[in-house]
Amino acid sequence: MKIQSIIVEDLQVAADFLKRFCEKCGVVEVIHHFLNAEDALHYLKDNVVDLIFLDVEMPGVSGFELLDQLVYTPQVILTTSKTEYAYNAFQYNVTDYLKKPFTYQRFLEAIQKVSKKSEQENGNAEQDHLFIKSDGKLIRLHNDDILFIESMGDYVKFITPSKKYITHNTIKNLETKVNPQVFMKVHRSYIVNFTKINDIQENVLFINGNMIPISKTHKSGVMQKINII
Amino acid sequence: MYNEEQKISFRFSPELDVDFLQELYGDDFQQAEMIFESSAQQLRTELSLAEARFHDGDIPGLKKAVHKIKPLFGYIGLNKIMSEFAAFEQECAQANEPASVETGFQHMRMIAAEALQKVDNEIKRLKQHNTQYL
Repeated sequence: MKIQSIIVEDLQVAADFLKRFCEKCGVVEVIHHFLNAEDALHYLKDNVVDLIFLDVEMPGVSGFELLDQLVYTPQVILTTSKTEYAYNAFQYNVTDYLKKPFTYQRFLEAIQKVSKKSEQENGNAEQDHLFIKSDGKLIRLHNDDILFIESMGDYVKFITPSKKYITHNTIKNLETKVNPQVFMKVHRSYIVNFTKINDIQENVLFINGNMIPISKTHKSGVMQKINII
Repeated sequence: MYNEEQKISFRFSPELDVDFLQELYGDDFQQAEMIFESSAQQLRTELSLAEARFHDGDIPGLKKAVHKIKPLFGYIGLNKIMSEFAAFEQECAQANEPASVETGFQHMRMIAAEALQKVDNEIKRLKQHNTQYL
């Protein structure tokens, strides 16, 4: 599967140059090119990509400001004509930093870093995120963003603070796939992120104002899991 | 008939940074032609914009235009001019009044015009070379 990417670059020539390299290497697909960060941000609110080729200095919102506003963390290759941003690049933990114009060889090195990082992340996938298929696309949800998962028959609903995602799956199936260090089943219809529990009253727990029942069979498990002082 | 040996026969003009261009484009002269053409086009647009900003006395606007112009020289093998524009961008960042960047701007205008001539010539050469294989 190709690396799904977007280019955020106000210089058309630089974007054309990069697109050609992406085509040439055969492993990177450029889904969109945005001439400014605002349009890219708008797109990234509803769409998940693996990689962003990101210019730093653009009119309006800068590349770093875009990274500040992202709700998830795809891999990022900064493309800039200045070397002064290297320290910031390090701070933002970007995958690589390409000084424009860059050679095909240098581009390939950056893509290799992306693949390597991606392999490492997939190896740790159980630990910090999962992918769900919703609205015809694969969406990466970080464990920390998921409040709880609710059964809806043959479907489940992933509840995050900002959005609800419905996907074709069952609680029973998910129970074995989510990270047990973060999630636990508390009822036949609910899996919760127990780091998000606000309070527990009798056989009900509360997460962000949502009331979730705890079944008798799972009550002792819940009580063992939470840290009672 | 297509000839693989002829394919690599193109040599960039010695007035450009040949080694760098060779590294940048390899034997993909179609890409070189495309990028040279769009660079020349965008250079003209951005230089007009820089000219307008300079006449308006808008130094931050001029700096932005210069920032955008700068890497374009890199794609056409004029790295020395790219460095000169980088220095001028720095000059704009430190300038307090339009008069202080005037000499620098005149110089940039002159070297950019020379650069555009070189690029136009190279585009002609690239086109001539690439059409042989159509």
